[in-house]
Amino acid sequence: MATAIDEDRLSETFAALASSTRRAMLARLAEGSATVNELAEPFDLTLPAVSKHIKVLERAGLVVRGRHAQYRPCALDPAPLAEVASWTEEYRHVWEARFDQMDDYLTRLRPHARTDDHDG
Amino acid sequence: MADDNASPDAVVIERSFDAPVAQIWQMWTDPEHFAAWYGPDGASIPVAKMDVRVGGTRLVCMEAQTPAGPMQMWFTGEYLEVTENTRLVYTESMCDQSGNVLAPSAMGMPEDHPTTTEVRVELDEDGGGRTRMVLTHLGIPSDSPGATGWTMALDKLATHAAAHGNGSS
Repeated sequence: MATAIDEDRLSETFAALASSTRRAMLARLAEGSATVNELAEPFDLTLPAVSKHIKVLERAGLVVRGRHAQYRPCALDPAPLAEVASWTEEYRHVWEARFDQMDDYLTRLRPHARTDDHDG
Repeated sequence: MADDNASPDAVVIERSFDAPVAQIWQMWTDPEHFAAWYGPDGASIPVAKMDVRVGGTRLVCMEAQTPAGPMQMWFTGEYLEVTENTRLVYTESMCDQSGNVLAPSAMGMPEDHPTTTEVRVELDEDGGGRTRMVLTHLGIPSDSPGATGWTMALDKLATHAAAHGNGSS
């Protein structure tokens, strides 16, 4: 069951992924950690703009920054991605919705639309 | 099999319905009943052809309303196990409206996605005229119908990342 917190986290992940620049950055980080300068290289962006993108990714938990190294290299944290990309979660919702509909349909099919009977 | 729930390649759902097993069996095997519940939210099932016997084929059309107009998706498959009121196993693949299986790559999916998935339905008396149902859907490609290009790219990315960075506690 997804909790409200999970949903919030998912929204944040989706928001972070809604930018092609940030997705390209993640793709780069999937190959290994990189400094902000390295991440900025393929883009026609100022460093502050790149930093802003990285902050969004950090907030979404997709990127972690090194604490000790001077250039604080960025690394990918794939955990939130796995959640978003998990087809099982998506299909689980589809099937659950279908079975709710099956339940409703079965109720409609009952010859004597039953009211509330509590007998076992 | 005990850890199926944790498998990244399967959806396992257990439900109890207030109806006898024979009726739940009908829900899966009678096209008219099947079409009445199977469409996901907002989708309808204009076509459901089912030759429910081992080796028999099925053809199901799902029609969803999208902002760009109605979109049809066709699915075909073969019944692998048919044990009335007990167990139903069939395969599922995307196809065209004549039932010709479409390669996942033709649907814009990555080459390594399975063309065929498997749906298992197991039914059991649950007392008081109720039925316990266990659904297992195996090896579904990670793009759901309607998935956009970037979610597919994302899957690749997640796979890649999982293979490279396993130390994310």
